[in-house]
Amino acid sequence: MFSRYRDALLWFAFALLAAAGFWWAGRRHEPPATPGRAVISWYVIITPLRDLYMAEVAAFEKLNPEIEVQIFWVPGSEYNVKLKTLAAAHQLPDLFFSGDVWVSYLRPFSRDLTPLVQRDAAEFGLDDFFPEIRRAMQLDGKDYILPEYVNLSLLYYNRRMFAAAGLPEPTADWTWDDLVRAGQALTHEGQDGAPPVWGSSRVEGWWGEWLIYVRQAGGKAFSPDGHRCLLDSREAITGLRFYLEKSSKHHISAPAGFEPLNGFVNQRVAMIVGGHINYWVNYNQTLGLDWDVQLLPTGPASRSGGELAIAGYSISQESRHPEEAWALAKFLTRPEAIAAVVARGNLSVRRSVAETVMGAPGPHANPRHLAAAYRQFAFGEPIPHHPNYIEIMLTVVQPEIDRMLLGELTPEEAGRRAAAAVNAFLATFDPAKP
Amino acid sequence: MNHRRAETFWFWLFAGPAVVGFAAFSLWPMLESLWLSFCSYEVIAPPRFIGLQNYAYLFAHDLSFWPSVKVTLVFTVIQLPLAIGAALALALLLNQPVRGRGFWRAVYFLPSILPQAVFAVVFGYIFQADGGLLNRLLALGGIHGAAWTTSPTWALPVLIVISLWGFGYPMVIFLGGLQNVPRELYEAAHIDGAGAWARFRHITLPLISPVIFFNVVMGLIGSLKVFDLAYAFSVAQAQPTPGGPARATLFYGLNLYQQAFGYFHMGLASAMAWLLFAFILVVTFINFRVSRRWVHYGD
Repeated sequence: MFSRYRDALLWFAFALLAAAGFWWAGRRHEPPATPGRAVISWYVIITPLRDLYMAEVAAFEKLNPEIEVQIFWVPGSEYNVKLKTLAAAHQLPDLFFSGDVWVSYLRPFSRDLTPLVQRDAAEFGLDDFFPEIRRAMQLDGKDYILPEYVNLSLLYYNRRMFAAAGLPEPTADWTWDDLVRAGQALTHEGQDGAPPVWGSSRVEGWWGEWLIYVRQAGGKAFSPDGHRCLLDSREAITGLRFYLEKSSKHHISAPAGFEPLNGFVNQRVAMIVGGHINYWVNYNQTLGLDWDVQLLPTGPASRSGGELAIAGYSISQESRHPEEAWALAKFLTRPEAIAAVVARGNLSVRRSVAETVMGAPGPHANPRHLAAAYRQFAFGEPIPHHPNYIEIMLTVVQPEIDRMLLGELTPEEAGRRAAAAVNAFLATFDPAKP
Repeated sequence: MNHRRAETFWFWLFAGPAVVGFAAFSLWPMLESLWLSFCSYEVIAPPRFIGLQNYAYLFAHDLSFWPSVKVTLVFTVIQLPLAIGAALALALLLNQPVRGRGFWRAVYFLPSILPQAVFAVVFGYIFQADGGLLNRLLALGGIHGAAWTTSPTWALPVLIVISLWGFGYPMVIFLGGLQNVPRELYEAAHIDGAGAWARFRHITLPLISPVIFFNVVMGLIGSLKVFDLAYAFSVAQAQPTPGGPARATLFYGLNLYQQAFGYFHMGLASAMAWLLFAFILVVTFINFRVSRRWVHYGD
């Protein structure tokens, strides 16, 4: 009797085993939520401020015992890919770190925060955010990010190297010519086999520096509607030429490929045009590095052109706990939280915090010209809101700029080739194109 | 259950998991990617059928496609003969009856157990333009070294040099082949007055030709699929975009990865994957056809 059904039983057992295996592999691993508490997930980039965030979350949970926050730390280099993958799988966390450079891409998955911002404007002090930050928060008049950080292009300089060369420190009325003159005075061959010291660094591999010159020369990367690349314009080419000639003509920057590693920190580079606020923490931890900032030197057409980029918090479109996530976002961007972030070496997105810090600088002596940094807000330009901005700039435009630096292309050829390539890309991939 | 049915049952019981695994994790994704190669699929929205547009874009408009093909082919054409030659030369040396032969074999094989990524990082420091070990040594001799890792002229040759450290596996296979060559043939040739080169040319090479062929086929496929070395090199050089400078190290595999997981152009990346598959298939087929002329199986 048993042998008659043995085949069927064994097949059934086999199928059952396979099904159990798939179930076990695919089951969720999160611990069950405590009854009566809403669990919200928060994706955040691993940062030196990790301890600060942990403390903030603990304080938030204490204030809001009905909300539990699960933090997922993600390495910065993988953050975007993970976020996109989660978006594609409709598994975005309730709250995630976002920025104006990503918001166009993530807009379909990000909750429109405008109603919440308007509703709680008085409570969390909407007017306290700098107007430039307010503008950068918005995309087509809607809010998608509650900002916590700002990055701003500035002129960074080494005070000790300026003093050693007998040079006055940069002033707010500097032009490109002043940059070149000081750079030449600061550049010198290393003595006794020591490597050379350069007046100015040159940021290679991304748009951090050359786009400043393009804009200050009166050029633009894209047309206002974002459908056409304008790097072949006369103004843009003037900017690209200055970027190239920093090494090829003025000899204030290392030739392409020879930029000293961490040159500013190692005091082998006296100035940086552009830079990144994120490095302030490192600069302040470097013994013997006496540094400061100033407004960017003015270009032939404009002082404006430096980058003003914000980063902060977005809430998933599919979040089941948007109110709780919004409460956490507000908590993380309240004046006290911003002040804690600023105390570690950052610029403030809130005016009240900036004013306090400028009145009493806190533990770090540098930068001394904090007022200049906040003044630069007025001359910063947001990153173009285009879903493929990063890809276009890094993979389509940048190789042509690299070839220009290496002497393979003239600035005219680089601008023309880059524009043509971007326009071909836009014709194929631009989802915003009508 | 009769014997035949029982045999069938036990066959499927043991082979089943592998078959299911292959079907679920290889065959199905392959067929899915074939379908996606005809679609516009940016992951965040459902795939949209666009016919051959991905292929047309790759051939006619994509600025990174042809440079990545060129980088990969140049790498293959230069690296493969060098790698095979180095592995064979070392195998011949390590096949000699010298004291501590086992120790030397282990020493020369050791680099192969390290991931390519490790070489990319370590050699990245050696070849660094500013303050790298090589340029410091050259400077002692009054030579101004090149920007080895950041110059489009030198970055690929540097990667070829780095990749040669993976000679251990073909070397071991060559050693196995060399040990199967009958000693009597060498002795007979020696008696007939054949010199070392003649013995190598007319005995060793023909008799290890199947092993050479195996290493060439595997090496060729490996060279066309290079990814980890190039990716780790980019990371070690802190390149904002892998494949720099100016696409000089943009290998096909790296470009495919970037399109798929950097920018989520999954349709385009699928088309690239199928083009690579087709190319490897054709090259391997040609390899097998040509091998009939120079590979001797002793039958």
